[in-house]
Amino acid sequence: MRINVNNLSFGYDYRTVLKDVSFKLESGDFLVIIGNNGSGKSTLIKCLLGINKVPNKKIYLDDININDYRRWINIGYVPQKFDDFNYEFPITVNEILSVSKYGKITEDERLIWLDKLGILELQNENINNLSGGQLQRVFIVRALVNKPKLLILDEPTVGVDSTNIERFYNTINDLNKMGVTVILITHDIKSSKANFSHIMHLYNGTAVMKKIDRNVGDSS
Amino acid sequence: MMIAMSFFRAIVEREFMQFALITGLLIGFLAPLIGSFVVIRRLSLIADTLSHFSLAGIAIGLYFINILGVGFLSDPLYLGMLFAVIGSLIIELLRNYYKNYKEISMPIVISLGTALSALFISLSGGFTSSVYNYLFGSILTVGRVFTFIIIGVTILISGLLVVFYKQMVIISFDESYAKLLGIRVNIFQFFTTIILALVVSLSIETVGVLLVSSLMIIPVAAAMKIGKSFKNTLFLAIIFSEISVVMGLWLSFELSFPSGATIVLFNISIFLVVIILRRLIKRKNLRDNESEALL
Ligand SMILES: Nc1ncnc2c1ncn2[C@@H]1O[C@H](COP(=O)(O)OP(=O)(O)O)[C@@H](O)[C@H]1O
Ligand SMILES: [Mg+2]
Repeated sequence: MRINVNNLSFGYDYRTVLKDVSFKLESGDFLVIIGNNGSGKSTLIKCLLGINKVPNKKIYLDDININDYRRWINIGYVPQKFDDFNYEFPITVNEILSVSKYGKITEDERLIWLDKLGILELQNENINNLSGGQLQRVFIVRALVNKPKLLILDEPTVGVDSTNIERFYNTINDLNKMGVTVILITHDIKSSKANFSHIMHLYNGTAVMKKIDRNVGDSS
Repeated sequence: MMIAMSFFRAIVEREFMQFALITGLLIGFLAPLIGSFVVIRRLSLIADTLSHFSLAGIAIGLYFINILGVGFLSDPLYLGMLFAVIGSLIIELLRNYYKNYKEISMPIVISLGTALSALFISLSGGFTSSVYNYLFGSILTVGRVFTFIIIGVTILISGLLVVFYKQMVIISFDESYAKLLGIRVNIFQFFTTIILALVVSLSIETVGVLLVSSLMIIPVAAAMKIGKSFKNTLFLAIIFSEISVVMGLWLSFELSFPSGATIVLFNISIFLVVIILRRLIKRKNLRDNESEALL
């Protein structure tokens, strides 16, 4: 998916969080966003997701003004926190995935994703019995079940052990190679295996973006 | 044995028992089904709120019929249904008005409902036996028309749930993700609340205003502690609820116990048994694991 952000400023109440942020991504780009806590990373992607409302002409997704955008199914999102989820009532991993699915992915594909992220054996497990890292991976699969063209991940590897972090990056890199645009917020970019094409540093709401030469053939 | 025989014979032979059984079984199916979605969304108080508001409609209906002699309503329950819907709309309005203190809407609507009820019950002749029936339920007196209404509503709600199952489950568990998928959450919420209002007001006939919410919440509370999956939990809740309805109906037929109270007491007994059994099994597993670890 193509993304175009023009001079975006955004704040909550009287406080400005994002100042004049502009950038462009083409299909198949892989953007990593880094920055201190509170620098506005989550705020920026919530603008891209339509969760934070922005004025017209500030953000275009596939050349469509975000306020007119309707094909949200094309965007997969893993939030930083899952506070909005209502826990404790029983529901299995499979059940939550199948109600999150709107027709694009087959049963087999879903099982393949579960396997790739190392949680195939959890498919009939109750969501409430999972550890934080396992839950995180379930929500990653949930973001994939509609075959998104844009994948937005907000610190998705927090609480995940190192073997599974590697699995996660392999999966994301593969998807990216297949043309999915990826935006990833992370703190451990140095140690990560992310094969990214752009990096953005957010510093107090101001963005500095650089294009990176990809290390070709490293992630296969 | 003799007692059970006469209960079954009554079901076969007496029309009023057939109406009671059909109504009871259908309400016993609908209440925990809708109740599950209410519990997930932490709205357990809404059923109580709506039933109290519905009572205001019933009281006004009684006033119209008994005192003013206006017969067009024939049954005050219709006005009760209308009031449940109106109550649900007021709740939605107030919930949007107090975004961070959404539960404030409940006591406000309960108070209004209770005050109006008290006023119109007293205006229409005080605490009569029909008022008692609305408060505590009287399943053995439901009529043919009401039974057909319940059948219709059950078919309608089950159909809607089959068609919109995915949306309902996502909205209940994760409203923000539902919004992200482009689901019109507000529209769904609106219709769910209206359906809830309908089920609440129809359940009044079986267990009465004061006990309606227990019919929706208690079987679900028991099932969610032992359910293996979402569907399994719904299934268990419905089974618990149906057992209570049949047992309650039986006892109220044989011993003239009040039906609503009996049904709800059975529900609570099942709830207690489930909780206690679950604890015992957990403790036993723990002990087994410990002795295994020792070996
Ligand atoms: N919903 C909100 N309402 C008000 N302030 C918020 C909200 N979300 C974030 N903020 C504030 O905006 C700033 C940026 O937050 P955030 O985008 O979450 O930073 P990051 O993800 O980079 O850690 C912080 O100071 C935070 O307190
Ligand atoms: Mg953040």
